[in-house]
Amino acid sequence: MNKWVPVVLCSTLLAACATPTRYIDPAADDGEVTMTMDYRDFERAADAALQDLLSSGAVDNPGGDRYVMAVSRIVNDTMQRIDTDQLVKKIRVGLLRSGKVITTTAVGVDGAEDAMNETARELRNSEEFDQSGVQKKGTLKAPDLSLSGKIIQRNHKVKDEQQVEYYFQLSLTDLQNGLAIWENETPIIKRGSDKGVAW
Amino acid sequence: MSRMMQLAVLILVTSLLGACAPLQPEREVVQRDDLRVDPEIGGFVTVTELLEKRIDMPGGGDLLKIQFAVQAYQDTLMEWAVTWFDAEGMVVPGVGEGYRPARVLPNQTRFFTATAPHEKVVSYQLHLREDREP
Repeated sequence: MNKWVPVVLCSTLLAACATPTRYIDPAADDGEVTMTMDYRDFERAADAALQDLLSSGAVDNPGGDRYVMAVSRIVNDTMQRIDTDQLVKKIRVGLLRSGKVITTTAVGVDGAEDAMNETARELRNSEEFDQSGVQKKGTLKAPDLSLSGKIIQRNHKVKDEQQVEYYFQLSLTDLQNGLAIWENETPIIKRGSDKGVAW
Repeated sequence: MSRMMQLAVLILVTSLLGACAPLQPEREVVQRDDLRVDPEIGGFVTVTELLEKRIDMPGGGDLLKIQFAVQAYQDTLMEWAVTWFDAEGMVVPGVGEGYRPARVLPNQTRFFTATAPHEKVVSYQLHLREDREP
């Protein structure tokens, strides 16, 4: 019985020393910088891209209407498994809030982002549904613009440190003529211990 | 005479009622500055200019854009952020809330720009603070 006392005591002491889990306020985050991409990198890249995009006037429709934008392929050419929506979603939110661009979820490179756009239309002519609420033909909006891009990672060794470079490259294409009406590259460079892992 | 008495009583009652009315507390609202530099870096850097301009958009609207210049007297790691406000003084959210890091070398002057996230932005507050990353 007594042999369990030190085990319990040690466990209690170790638990007391553990770093407590806590919430982080993104506006006041003084946490250490990681060699990998964290939420701060996506936020900075999206913020820089959005400010440049809005101030360029490329998404300002002379007709006054909002442009309809489709999200094309955003290639992840890094050593990390990341969801590129971490970048794209912030830009989409910013563009929507600006009142200048609205994103379609009915058109995408690999099919509709929201399959419900088509599923809801399959209810057409079904006797089970009140047809007055079913979407009519010709109501989906075709995109005017397409957002595509790439996230690139390059690693370098500098003496006993390593340098990791991330490049967030974005292009906005006018689908009427295929011309890239806006392009942007935001580099985020980190230098740190060679022992750190950047993937 | 009785008319004078009536008037005097009326004034007295009105004064008494007025004295009993709850006092409205005075609000102590500090005017928001366009620029705030934390004292931790205030001795090392100077904001030498802070310009604002509305950029005309093809659709007829315009966006507020600011440009500021920072001069440092020693190697300074700092962070900066801009908060945007509409005509009613309400915050207009941008993409993120985070601060942007910047390094200003001794006797170097760096220029930074920021563009408002919406046409309804009419004012801003630029905040410079020391680098908080360990």
